[in-house]
Amino acid sequence: MAASSASSSPMLTKFESKSSRAKGLAFHPKRPWILVSLHSSTIQLWDYRMGTLIDRFEEHDGPVRGIDFHKTQPLFVSGGDDYKIKVWSYQTRRCLFTLNGHLDYVRTVFFHHELPWIISASDDQTIRIWNWQNRSLICTMTGHNHYAMCAQFHPKEDLVASASLDQSVRVWDISGLRKKHSAPTSTTFEDQMAVSRSGQDRADMFGNTDAVVKFVLEGHDRGVNWVAFHPTLPLLVSAGDDRLVKLWRMSETKAWEVDTCRGHFQNSSAALFHPHQDLILSVGEDKTIRVWDLNKRTSVQSFKRENDRFWVLAAHPEINLFAAGHDNGVMVFKLERERPASAVHQNQLFYITKEKHVRSYDFGKNVESPSMLSLRKLGSPWTPPRTLSFNPAERSILVTSSADNGVYELISLPRDASGAVEPSNTLRGSGKSAVFVARNRFAVFNQGNQQIDIKDLSNSTTKTLKPPPGTTDMVYGGPGCLLLITPTTVYLYDIQQKKQLAELAVSGVKYVVWSTDGLHAALLSKHNVTIINKSLEQVSTLHETIRIKSACWDDAGVLLYSTLNHIKYTLMNGDNGIVRTLEHTVYLVRVKGRSVYCLDRASKPKLLTIDPTEYRFKLALVKRHYDEMLNIIKNSSLVGQSIISYLQKKGYPEIALQFVQDPQTRFELAIECGNLDVAVEMAKELDRPKLWQRLSTEALAHGNHQVVEMTYQKLRQFDKLSFLYLATGDGAKLQRMAKIAEHRGDMTSRFQNSLYLGNDVESRIEMFQELDQYPLAYLTAKANGLEDRCQEILEASGMTEEQIVLPTMGKPVRPAKVVVKTHERNWPARSTGVSSFEKALMAEGEETGAGDTNGFAADDDLLASEENGAAEGFMGDEHDDDDAAAGWDMGDDGAAGDEDDDFVDVSAETSGGAAAGSEADLWVRNSPLAADHAAAGQFESAMNLLSKQIGAVNFAPLESRFLEIYAASRTFLPANAGLPPLVNFVRRTPLETDSRKLLPFIPRDLSSVHATEMAKGKAAMKANKLAEGTAAFRSALALLTVNAATSAAEATEATDALHQAAQYLLAMAIELERRQLLGSASSTDLSALPEDKKKKVLELSAYFTIPALEPQHRALTLFSAMNFASRNRQMGSALGFANALLEEGGGNARFRETATRIKAQAERSPTDPIAIDFDPFTRFAVCAASYTPIYAGEPSVACPLDGVLYQPRYKGVVCSVCQVCEVGGRGGGVRLMG
Amino acid sequence: MDPFSSEGELVNIHTAFAQAQYTSVLDDYNSSDFAESNRLPVQILQYRAQCELGQCDEVLSSISNGDAQKTPDLAAVRALAKYLKNGSEDAVAEAEKLAETQADNLSVQLLCGTVLARAGKADQAVSLLSRHTGSLDAVALITQIQLQQNRTDLALQQAKSARSFAQDALLVNLAESWIGMRRGGEEYQKAFYVFEELAQAPSSQTATSLVAQAVAEMHMGRTEEADAALARALELEPESRAALANKVALDAMVGRDGEETRGKLEGVDKEHVLLADMMAKREAFQEACKKYSPKFS
Repeated sequence: MAASSASSSPMLTKFESKSSRAKGLAFHPKRPWILVSLHSSTIQLWDYRMGTLIDRFEEHDGPVRGIDFHKTQPLFVSGGDDYKIKVWSYQTRRCLFTLNGHLDYVRTVFFHHELPWIISASDDQTIRIWNWQNRSLICTMTGHNHYAMCAQFHPKEDLVASASLDQSVRVWDISGLRKKHSAPTSTTFEDQMAVSRSGQDRADMFGNTDAVVKFVLEGHDRGVNWVAFHPTLPLLVSAGDDRLVKLWRMSETKAWEVDTCRGHFQNSSAALFHPHQDLILSVGEDKTIRVWDLNKRTSVQSFKRENDRFWVLAAHPEINLFAAGHDNGVMVFKLERERPASAVHQNQLFYITKEKHVRSYDFGKNVESPSMLSLRKLGSPWTPPRTLSFNPAERSILVTSSADNGVYELISLPRDASGAVEPSNTLRGSGKSAVFVARNRFAVFNQGNQQIDIKDLSNSTTKTLKPPPGTTDMVYGGPGCLLLITPTTVYLYDIQQKKQLAELAVSGVKYVVWSTDGLHAALLSKHNVTIINKSLEQVSTLHETIRIKSACWDDAGVLLYSTLNHIKYTLMNGDNGIVRTLEHTVYLVRVKGRSVYCLDRASKPKLLTIDPTEYRFKLALVKRHYDEMLNIIKNSSLVGQSIISYLQKKGYPEIALQFVQDPQTRFELAIECGNLDVAVEMAKELDRPKLWQRLSTEALAHGNHQVVEMTYQKLRQFDKLSFLYLATGDGAKLQRMAKIAEHRGDMTSRFQNSLYLGNDVESRIEMFQELDQYPLAYLTAKANGLEDRCQEILEASGMTEEQIVLPTMGKPVRPAKVVVKTHERNWPARSTGVSSFEKALMAEGEETGAGDTNGFAADDDLLASEENGAAEGFMGDEHDDDDAAAGWDMGDDGAAGDEDDDFVDVSAETSGGAAAGSEADLWVRNSPLAADHAAAGQFESAMNLLSKQIGAVNFAPLESRFLEIYAASRTFLPANAGLPPLVNFVRRTPLETDSRKLLPFIPRDLSSVHATEMAKGKAAMKANKLAEGTAAFRSALALLTVNAATSAAEATEATDALHQAAQYLLAMAIELERRQLLGSASSTDLSALPEDKKKKVLELSAYFTIPALEPQHRALTLFSAMNFASRNRQMGSALGFANALLEEGGGNARFRETATRIKAQAERSPTDPIAIDFDPFTRFAVCAASYTPIYAGEPSVACPLDGVLYQPRYKGVVCSVCQVCEVGGRGGGVRLMG
Repeated sequence: MDPFSSEGELVNIHTAFAQAQYTSVLDDYNSSDFAESNRLPVQILQYRAQCELGQCDEVLSSISNGDAQKTPDLAAVRALAKYLKNGSEDAVAEAEKLAETQADNLSVQLLCGTVLARAGKADQAVSLLSRHTGSLDAVALITQIQLQQNRTDLALQQAKSARSFAQDALLVNLAESWIGMRRGGEEYQKAFYVFEELAQAPSSQTATSLVAQAVAEMHMGRTEEADAALARALELEPESRAALANKVALDAMVGRDGEETRGKLEGVDKEHVLLADMMAKREAFQEACKKYSPKFS
């Protein structure tokens, strides 16, 4: 029958081995094992889940064709071309015994499902049944007249089916054999031997035969290779060299051929029934595996292998797995995907059952809905739907099936579940993957033409995208995005922009699971989990040796995933662990607290309980939620070596300490985290010298000499103890040490103590004498000036003074005096820092506790470091040149360590931010600008800066500016009732948060000064309101002097503006001076004035034109000077001004008209009756104090701020223009940039 | 737990108080409408509102000595009222005594904590307030005190832990916003949203909330918007000290003459912290000037 509907969809291969020709196969009923017997005489035991070869059994000689596991015992049986049947134990890995009897190749061997029997078929044309318990042949069935190729027990009844090259299939009744062997009187061995020897099936004394042929099935017209019973129905399937697979039915009395499955185009080697579904599987030498519909006998699927002929086929008794042996090994496969298609939306799970019904499951109520829809017609009958995508807005689903190279259907779900109705209107199309990407759009991926169509809900394409080459799958990629999967890479693709946003090299991704908040996703491949964020950046990755099946996210951002036999978790940082074991593979869909919801392989929702403590604890640890950790510790039994070593490994020994009961471990941890108190406690409990030794070292490093003392006492280290007392200045105890040394009779120790005490020369001399160390005794006496003793010693040793040559001796060295009684209390101990966790413990979860102690701890640290410094100082004093230098080193080391640690703490404290000072203090620290200091309220330092930068001495004009800046930098935020408002500090750049760059807001930037004060001043100039103008420019000067520029250009511009304001001020001052001299303002009449004043007035009028003003204002000055000169008949000067006015072209038409007229007038006699000190052709400046010219090259002094020049004699006075700075003062000019 | 949590009947009056709607606290709620156990808290909130409205004398006169002795809560109110009236040492001493004897009373914690904080005993105040058991008022106070001590880090911890148990409570939002105003950067905008939400909702618009909004705007350099918000605040409450004080700052920021506003503030509260500060600064300026001896020609 031509397989018209047969699709060659890819095989779901789970395992493949490579070996020589595989002739026999057997699944272990429980474990993931498969036995493979090879043509090469080897038997292999594989773990097909891990893909590892567990064992090899090599005792057969020649090909092994039959193999079978025992259902319950750790046994298996094999039969080979060496005529032998062997029974093996896979536990002891040995052949237990061999059953001999066949006279030719053994083709198949099988265990009986309950009796201790083995059935074998052989080329010697017999089928034999053996009892493997007493290792005997109990029945030989003859009748086939060619090779018996296969013989099997019926799974329930007392029947045997056999196939032979004699073209027949026979069914045997063996109920007689059962009766005989379960009869109470056991037959003797001899009897059995007699039976077996007799060979033929013959009636016993009651007329029963052991095995009788019930039916002979003839239909194959070539040899039959295989026969198998249906597990439940009275059916048989056989496969023969006529390339046919035949289906037979039998009743009590007869058996007949039902139908034939035609398709193999070479010999068919084996066929069997699917254990659960109405399917027949067969293999053949045509290199194909074929699947047939049992009811229609049509081909459902076929898989072809390129080069290998198939020889044998086996089905797993429990799960959906098959194995087929071929020329080059074996393959384990399944026929269909068992992963149920499902989708989770909020509290609902939508999934498709094995019957292809759509159902929902409510996580809140834990109820399963009745079927809502039947998708029977989706895809092909034997292909379950692959994916399900749910659209909550439309309440519709998108289902894909891999049948026919991928199809999808868009179906609306009925409002309420009313049973498995056929959907009324479905829209369908072809495509491998289909997902909803928006409320009214879905994407369909077509692998064949490598195209993604974005479709609307009426199934018409609105947009077409081209995925990266080699794309194999497409999944949801966050709002408006898709994740496109190729075998090696995952791409994030934006649908709107039609472009690829990111790519990540992860190979073999099969499933993608998004977290509930949509921020992270887990990419699952066969053995890897890769966690990414929504921009497709890898967060972490982990590898599993066992196949990863599914995953789902905890609400806290923990990923739970299931492997074939475990539920595990992983945190974002990659920490992972086992949550629980699984008996059956499940597909996780949701985690809620202690409940894990999943679908099993039968597509049934299941609820598993887990203990999330471990990962919650780790998560809390990572996130430093100490309160939560505390809570977990209190409320759960989270103790155990794993968590302790985890904490230790992660660098939290102080937390681990909280869990440990075992004193030894507690001691280790306490030492590690420097918790001496606990360490002492534990050491006392254990009381072992080694521990005391370690404690002493650690305590010494801490500078905790009290503990050190105790440990030395415990260890009876007298020398060290003495030295410790010396170092801590504990004289009293040193005395006692001396006493103890005497008691102990330890001379060296006595001597040492006496040296330390330094007051006991006599006893030292005595000691030397006692030891007959006369030279040393003499030396000691001599050094200490004890002449009498010297004489005694000399006498005692019978020598005279002359005989002794003494080295030069300095003064006797004495131990330093105790300055600080260190022994009274401990040195400032190395700050171990109470961990926040311990704080949380202490505060018993009170929220504020941690904060408070933190503050105090910081203070303590500071104090400690100070004291430490002090201690160091004292030590420096005490540090005598040679007195036990080595010993001091030890002390120094400890202290240096201390200091380092504290130093680290201190710096951490300061870099932590404005811990003590306000933000204003930061401004002062961050800026060299007077304005910033003024804003901080540090007027004194602001003045200091101004004095340095511009030689400012008179600050009165800047007072209002200072206060203005100060006021503008502070706001008052009303907060709690009863408390004053919170003062906040206004920043120059609102977005700046780096504490080293924080600067205050300075009001009135350059442009506002230009727009306001400068403009006002200039307007006043034009309007001839000079007093007003002066005030305006003065305030402009003050504003610009104390200010901050945003850029160097702005700073330059500000300085220019400043100079300009100064020039205007100077000009106005000159003019005002002139008017004042003139008396009545409007008068131009000079006649009343004395000569010198006349001259001065005329000069001032001329000087008015000197300051650098803007052209229109300079025109004003020229016009005024010209008029004044011409009125006073100073025609020479007038001519000069008129010329300048005309040349420069400033001013309006009236000015030029007048100038032309005056020029004409003046040119007639261009002379000045009164000679004034003004040369229009020479460049000069006007002294702002005396209003006299300062010619180029002449000595002068300038104001450092505004650059106005003065005669040298004015050095040191306040500049009359800015009224702030000292003329000729220090400073390089105003500073406006940081 | 917090009796003012969202389930309780106190939630409205407490929210009103937290939003500085003091007149509403006094006028819209009657302690007799509340359950017996809640009357005292209501009474205390109303006393506090009176204090905020400057009616310290009324508060003092309505609490008899006997009442104060019987109920530590009322004694705490008295201490606060006394302190607010004239900052007397007596009040501080009273508060300290209550803090020692009745440290577990929430009203004592809040009110005496306030007095202590104002009297410059911030550490004492914080340690008293830290004894609270899940009171957001206490958290808010601690936050403010720590901010005043420039311990933004501690305040942040405080707010964080409060957020963990009180999620989106008004006071938590406010406390975080206060901290945000110190931290700056993007936090300004976040704080602004909180303040704006309060200031723009008709039910919670008060001079205080508008001022807070304006302050956030000032920090973000949005002076014109700040100006408008302050103007609206002054419309609602012409004598709002908070509004006037910030207007002085705003005037300085935009270069306006702040004399008029300052005058108004003086009229309302001669001893306002801003005025005192400015006065002190002026004196400091004069003092600093003395170091220099300018020579005039």
